[in-house]
Amino acid sequence: MKEYDAIVIGGGPAGMSAASVLGDHVKTLILDENDALGGQLVKQTHKFFGDHAHYASKRGFEIAKELTDEIYKKPVDISTASTVIGIYPQNTVAYVKDGREELVRYKKLLIATGAMERQLPFINSDLPGVYGAGAIQTLMNQYGIFPGKRFLIIGSGNIGLILAYQLAQTGAEVRMIVEALDKVGGYEVHANKVKRLGIPILLKHTIVKAMGDESVQGVVIAEVDDKFGVIPGTEKEIVVDTICVSVGLIPLTELAEQAKCKIEYIPELGGYVPVRDERMHTTNSDVFVAGDLSSIEEATTAIIEGKLAAMQIVKDLTKTDLGKEISDELKTLDIFRSGPKSFKIRKGLEKMGIKVPEIEVPKLFQTPIENAKSKLHAVIECTEEIPCNSCESSCKFDAIKVGENINTPPIFDPSKCTGCAVCVTACPGLAIFMEKLDESPNATIGIPYEFLPLPKFNEKMWGMDKEGNYVCDLTVKRVVKNPNKTNIVYVELPKEFVDDVRHVRYPKKESPFVCRCEEVTLDQIEKIIDSGITDFEEIKRMTRITMGPCGGKNCKMITLGIISRKTGIPISKLSHGTSRPPVKPTEFSAFLRGDEK
Amino acid sequence: MEGRILEHPILSFTRQKRVRIFFEGNEIEAYEGESVAAALHAAGIKVLRYTPINGRPAGFFCAVGKCSSCLMEIDGVPNVRSCMTKVRDGMQVRRQHGKGDLV
Ligand SMILES: Cc1cc2nc3c(=O)[nH]c(=O)nc-3n(C[C@H](O)[C@H](O)[C@H](O)COP(=O)(O)OP(=O)(O)OC[C@H]3O[C@@H](n4cnc5c(N)ncnc54)[C@H](O)[C@@H]3O)c2cc1C
Ligand code: FES
Repeated sequence: MKEYDAIVIGGGPAGMSAASVLGDHVKTLILDENDALGGQLVKQTHKFFGDHAHYASKRGFEIAKELTDEIYKKPVDISTASTVIGIYPQNTVAYVKDGREELVRYKKLLIATGAMERQLPFINSDLPGVYGAGAIQTLMNQYGIFPGKRFLIIGSGNIGLILAYQLAQTGAEVRMIVEALDKVGGYEVHANKVKRLGIPILLKHTIVKAMGDESVQGVVIAEVDDKFGVIPGTEKEIVVDTICVSVGLIPLTELAEQAKCKIEYIPELGGYVPVRDERMHTTNSDVFVAGDLSSIEEATTAIIEGKLAAMQIVKDLTKTDLGKEISDELKTLDIFRSGPKSFKIRKGLEKMGIKVPEIEVPKLFQTPIENAKSKLHAVIECTEEIPCNSCESSCKFDAIKVGENINTPPIFDPSKCTGCAVCVTACPGLAIFMEKLDESPNATIGIPYEFLPLPKFNEKMWGMDKEGNYVCDLTVKRVVKNPNKTNIVYVELPKEFVDDVRHVRYPKKESPFVCRCEEVTLDQIEKIIDSGITDFEEIKRMTRITMGPCGGKNCKMITLGIISRKTGIPISKLSHGTSRPPVKPTEFSAFLRGDEK
Repeated sequence: MEGRILEHPILSFTRQKRVRIFFEGNEIEAYEGESVAAALHAAGIKVLRYTPINGRPAGFFCAVGKCSSCLMEIDGVPNVRSCMTKVRDGMQVRRQHGKGDLV
């Protein structure tokens, strides 16, 4: 039987980074079930958060390639298409390759098998067409096969949000994302990427059942109460052909169990997880764990954990002094986990006896950017404390600062911004835009764009707001193609809308709603203007636009924009009608006094 | 939507050699490197088996070999995970009914 100093099971980011370190020092074998190394990363087409040293701003499949290239240069035995089926006594790993069982021995074992997707029980959840998020990604991003046409996504964590975005990139229609909680689970910037495409995120909703005989043809959703019970009478049917379940991941602990590692239930870390110390050592002195198996987190933490485990193994086996390297990695890990988004992880680790220091995320204050508005400059819409500093690393002019704690939201210094827009292409959250606002009635904005076809010079498009609603017509002025595939579309639009428009799209056949309360479309308004009526008050009386319960906050500006475009009169010169109380929906009884009925 | 993605804003797909596989005796389009489940999905086939107890239709769920929802009869062998099995020229694929007979 072949014997290794170290065997790594699982070739995701955790296993690969570990094997790279191990290969430099000891005889190492890495095993993975798939044909290629990379784990979760191979099917991720979005840019990853994190810091520069850990591949931030690169797309998942690119990170997989870099890690794979690195490991193939090392003296490591690599065996893919090798499914580990058990850990036998006397430090033996059993795996199946080409239909045959192979046995290998280890001195030290690192298990980095990652996680699998949680299933969600609902009526007909076994119907073909109900898929896990990862399955859909495998189909569309690995095999290049359309996974379906109309989708409903359950779960608004980062995975659900990213999936919605990736589906939209293939041209699929994502009807909605439903989320049982009262707030979005994933990062705000990921949610914004999806919302501006017009994909609604329905909070406090759940799936009741899938419909269809042989495969999904529709779905029933309903609102839930505070205890997640369905509120009767709120059920709604929606036509979809694919339901995507993304309600979390479960660590794959079987092999760790077979290796006699103690397993504990710690929901904050993902459920049952192997008990381990700070350096990824389990209760079995020869066995280590890393990555999603040890706690459901991120690629960055998986990479660091893999390295930590590997260094400790090298230290144990060769007595090489890696004390400094280990403490550096531990420090990086602590900073990564210090943000508010890692609250659960910190709590979970503490239950295991691992103390993650609370490092306060400094509060920096944005200086007003008014004085720099007339030149082309960046606009950063990233206010959540998430572990990412790709914008800071990308800016060659020192105009963006995140600082030592990677969870600090970026601070932008407009006086240093040269308008190069490199940060726009680097930001994994696509949360940076370009803007120029000078004396002219039109403003310019630059929008990150990752769809096909790429707009062309002088094309007319629609400007959409943060929720995916129509705002105004606009004209494409310049398209900058970037090697990293985040292209920038610069458009010209009436300056009143510069803070609203965050996405551009080709006009649809159906006319968009200008006023959703009164259900007035762009078409209706244009027809009235074409008939010669150009006064806002007049149009309001004819269509009831702005008279609905929302008080006309958005649709008034949009309507003025349409009048301005059709008549050539700048918005500032148009009469904008009168505002009347109440400005918020108010019950009639509120206006009655005492005994009035 | 069925079929294969030809153009993608981020990825480019280069398909390997065209092979012939047979689903319930009928030829379907497949390319080397694809899993059986993926090639079937591209052809619009989502039902991969009928369950042992209630005879309910089932398809794949995880597509990465973890859930065993995709078991099929491939070249006469039952209980094969079709999501982890690569297509081969001349392969005969059938829906599995029940637990699969041991030959
Ligand atoms: C949609 C999505 C988006 C994400 N976005 C981000 C992001 O923007 N930034 C970020 O930092 N992180 C992100 N992540 C998280 C990140 O991908 C994971 O945290 C990371 O991949 C975990 O690495 P790992 O090595 O522990 O596990 P994995 O990547 O899951 O790798 C585990 C490997 O082990 C193999 N394996 C399992 N069992 C066996 C066995 N019995 N025999 C042989 N091999 C086996 C598997 O096939 C797999 O290749 C995202 C994840 C998803 C799903
Ligand atoms: S679909 Fe889960 S094992 Fe094949």
